[in-house]
Amino acid sequence: MSALDARPRKRDNHARPRKRDNRAAVAFLLPWFGGLALITAGPVAASFVLGFTDYNLIQPPRFNGLTNVHRMLSDERLHHAFGVTVVYVVVSVPLQLAAALGLAMLLDRGLRGMAFYRSVFYLPSLLGGSVAIAVLWRQIFGAQGLLNQVLGVAGVPDRSWIADPDTALSTLIVLNVWTFGAPMVIFLAGLRQIPVMYYEAAAVDGASRWAQFRAITMPLLSPIIFFNLVLQVIHAFQAFTQAFVVSGGSGGPSDSTLFYTLYLYQRGFNNFDMGYASALAWLLLLIIATFTAVNFWAARHWVFYDD
Amino acid sequence: MRNGMTRRSVLRLAAGAGAGAALAACGDGGGDAGADISGDPVTLRFTWWGSDARHQRTRQVIDLFTKAHPSITVKGEFKEWNGYWDSLATTVAANDAPDIIQMDELYLSSYAQRGALLDLATAAKHLSTARFDANALDTGRVEGTLYALPTGLTAYAMVVNTDLLGRFKLAVPDDATWTWDDLKNLGAQVSRASGGSVHGVQSWGFDTGGLNVWARQAGASLYDAQGNVGMPPDVLASFWQYLLDLTTQGIAPKPSVTIEQGAGGLDQSGTATNTAAFGTWWNTQLPSLAEASGQELRLLRQPGESRAPSPGAYLKPSMFWSISARSAHPAEAALFVDFLANSTQAGDVLLTDRGVPANTAVRAAVLPKLSGADKAAADYLEAIQVGPAPRVTPNGASDIEAILKRHTEEVLFARRTPAQAAAGFIKELQAEIDAA
Amino acid sequence: MTDLKERGVPVVTEGDPPPRRTRLPSAVRSVAKHAGLSLLALVMLYPVIWMVVSSLRPNNDIFRSPGIVLDSLQVSNYGTGWNALASPFGHYMMNSAIVVLGCIIGNLVSCSMAAYAFARLDFTGKRLFFAIMLGSIMLPIHVIIVPQYIMFSQLGWVNTVLPLIVPKLLATDAFFVFLMVQFIRGLPRQLDEAARIDGAGHGRIFLRVILPLMRPALATTTIFTFIWTWNDFFSQLIYLTDPDKYTVPVALRSFVDSTVATSWGAMFAMSVVSLLPIFLAFLFGQRYLVKGIATTGIK
Repeated sequence: MSALDARPRKRDNHARPRKRDNRAAVAFLLPWFGGLALITAGPVAASFVLGFTDYNLIQPPRFNGLTNVHRMLSDERLHHAFGVTVVYVVVSVPLQLAAALGLAMLLDRGLRGMAFYRSVFYLPSLLGGSVAIAVLWRQIFGAQGLLNQVLGVAGVPDRSWIADPDTALSTLIVLNVWTFGAPMVIFLAGLRQIPVMYYEAAAVDGASRWAQFRAITMPLLSPIIFFNLVLQVIHAFQAFTQAFVVSGGSGGPSDSTLFYTLYLYQRGFNNFDMGYASALAWLLLLIIATFTAVNFWAARHWVFYDD
Repeated sequence: MRNGMTRRSVLRLAAGAGAGAALAACGDGGGDAGADISGDPVTLRFTWWGSDARHQRTRQVIDLFTKAHPSITVKGEFKEWNGYWDSLATTVAANDAPDIIQMDELYLSSYAQRGALLDLATAAKHLSTARFDANALDTGRVEGTLYALPTGLTAYAMVVNTDLLGRFKLAVPDDATWTWDDLKNLGAQVSRASGGSVHGVQSWGFDTGGLNVWARQAGASLYDAQGNVGMPPDVLASFWQYLLDLTTQGIAPKPSVTIEQGAGGLDQSGTATNTAAFGTWWNTQLPSLAEASGQELRLLRQPGESRAPSPGAYLKPSMFWSISARSAHPAEAALFVDFLANSTQAGDVLLTDRGVPANTAVRAAVLPKLSGADKAAADYLEAIQVGPAPRVTPNGASDIEAILKRHTEEVLFARRTPAQAAAGFIKELQAEIDAA
Repeated sequence: MTDLKERGVPVVTEGDPPPRRTRLPSAVRSVAKHAGLSLLALVMLYPVIWMVVSSLRPNNDIFRSPGIVLDSLQVSNYGTGWNALASPFGHYMMNSAIVVLGCIIGNLVSCSMAAYAFARLDFTGKRLFFAIMLGSIMLPIHVIIVPQYIMFSQLGWVNTVLPLIVPKLLATDAFFVFLMVQFIRGLPRQLDEAARIDGAGHGRIFLRVILPLMRPALATTTIFTFIWTWNDFFSQLIYLTDPDKYTVPVALRSFVDSTVATSWGAMFAMSVVSLLPIFLAFLFGQRYLVKGIATTGIK
């Protein structure tokens, strides 16, 4: 977690006694420690233990050693689900962040009716995982949907983009990009923290907009971009609701939208296989943690903090 | 110092949660189902899935019951299908299950064989099963023990839109003699005549009904008596070959359209939107379909029945009433189930919402009150010839419809041949049964 | 980038946009921008518009007539939907509002405190704790929910709002802790140093210096907590078993059953109704999002 280093202070670590900060930290982190101990730790530890058991939810769990780990190695649907998820993460996260940042900058300054556009662009994100989203998404990518109408095949239900294994995952990626409201709002808030005088000074110096973006916006917004990147990657690896709602829980057609967590859910709840599902969850944690660690490592090179 | 404390409390909590899980999982049974009804106030939790129409009817029945039994309060917990099973599994795991549980055939063994459901014979004092046919009662037995009481019965049917056939000047087939080839021919004529806006047949292969009928007409069965997969691979392959033919010959819509409609549920199906002339449904879905379609729909017997050595058709319990094995008030719960299953008062409200009543007395009282599509659905059940019901879905196979759907998709999208899919399906389903 | 590191305390400027190099075609550019944005808005809103239109259609028409042209108006869906479940729909909205309010307060207080510690304090095990915090949101809820349910049911909390709210009071929502950490770290250190020289402790710095400057982050937290809690289905489904306590997402789903006819019109009508509070919350809340450092007036 290198980005958290208070690097400028490292040099005088030995000289400065840290006791005072420690006491303050305990005070400020008291609710968090409480949550960790009372809410998080128990279930997390339990899920770890259950990962080494055969647990059908109804009867007591039975330890089965590393059986679940061995199963993972030969589980083809798991490997497939991992592939689907990685494609989804790698494609949809950059697209969504680019859309969010682009629109945030467009809406940030100097346009009448910004508030209106902001709200309108946020509206789709409000629908999020609502049960209506499955039906609504069919209105765009279904056989009778907007896309087919635009493509001029209206009236003839020719092809459903949402239910074709070659295109279903793409529609979910579009769905994720479509709900860029949350990162957009965070970008907007971040942009608003950049003092206007920097831009004024740059404009006086005759800097182009692109130069302003490179020299001012990027570095000052980088902690926020970094935040969005880290969280959206974590979020995308755990993508569940939209795939669940749109595919009716199956991850279909033909497993083309079988996200990792969807598969895990199916094992745990549909097949009463919660021991294996718990093991899967911890594997996912390892995968996400690896990606996140890489993100934090890379952040050294491009994220700029003022402290 | 702070760290040490945190670590200790973490460990204590983990141990607590683990012990809790074990305790909850092996928690002993609740009260005595043979006890007298307590005069003290008792609160029962009753859970079911459905849509808003069912919620309203069920709440009326609860009101009728509590009026007759003022000391008993029934809390109705209604959910939609997916959330229902997640919630049920979680509450059962925590030893906190509702007392009265609406159960589905797919999950009956999974819950019963793991000890989550009450043996209803122990509650015979309050819960009568005298007015049920032996055949109907047997559908609620797992390994000889009665764990669930069927609410109603339903049978697989072919729904035909006669308005559409009329529009293309085609005659309604005689369902006493028609064959699977007849369905193909007729469907092809519809697709051709409509120029693509209407298809002859809405493809199926996503539920166990169609699969069971196909197997039974071939003299086979999906599961054998021991609860293993008993479907011969070639019979299964011929099932998918037929569905594939429908698609490739343009009788059914393109695969992606078929899959989209399948996922969309009843309201968005080809039958409901009048874009398919024939479609397979459970007979009790006719009223919903007729309302959605607004056109003239009729129920036909499955094709091929006249040629089959034994009927493919069978009566499926549409759902069951069951009682949690850990209920603290099993006697009162049994009394309530008795009211649901045996009282004509309840039957008058529920009508055929949960299938044509399996209780013969209730059915006799309810049938004259039906009209229109409800009546047609009930009449169909009386008219058809059925064989003995197939074996209850074995423990571990509750996810069969997801496995079936996935393999049907692979076949329709030509990612596997019917023979490959058959082999894969049998292997996967058997593995789930073995693992349970 | 080095010049930025040497920047001083920002000077107050009022919130006007920076002067732009104005050229002749600026009006044209503005019109083009509006046209582009409006078109994009229309495409993005198509499903939402479809939903509103469908809520005004007779139930049978919804899937038989595609598109968004309304040929007959039926407002009765709203009345039907409002009264379709055990309680009037407003009851579920009230339940949701209670949960939402608790979660907002919880997140604002606990996450900002934790974030201050991670962003500004130097303490033993900071990196480890931060990693644990982020790690805690990496496990999918589906394997946590069963042990958690067992734990809460032993505490007697099931069927109350406690399992939904108490975790938020205890800073378990790492998303917001991390969000606030990033915002605080974006604030110039010189501000705290100045306050410290004036003799302020961490409590005072947090309350008097940092919190007022974090308004965009706090507004973001409020709005997101509102929206996400309002929409959160799974945990509310699991923990609130008594229909009297159902919240909006749980109630909305009880309209739908794919095996029978569903009152889609009523469901969409109630979806529209339940969208209103979060849309209004966003519409008014977003004003605070954009009142950043430039307008909060640091002196």
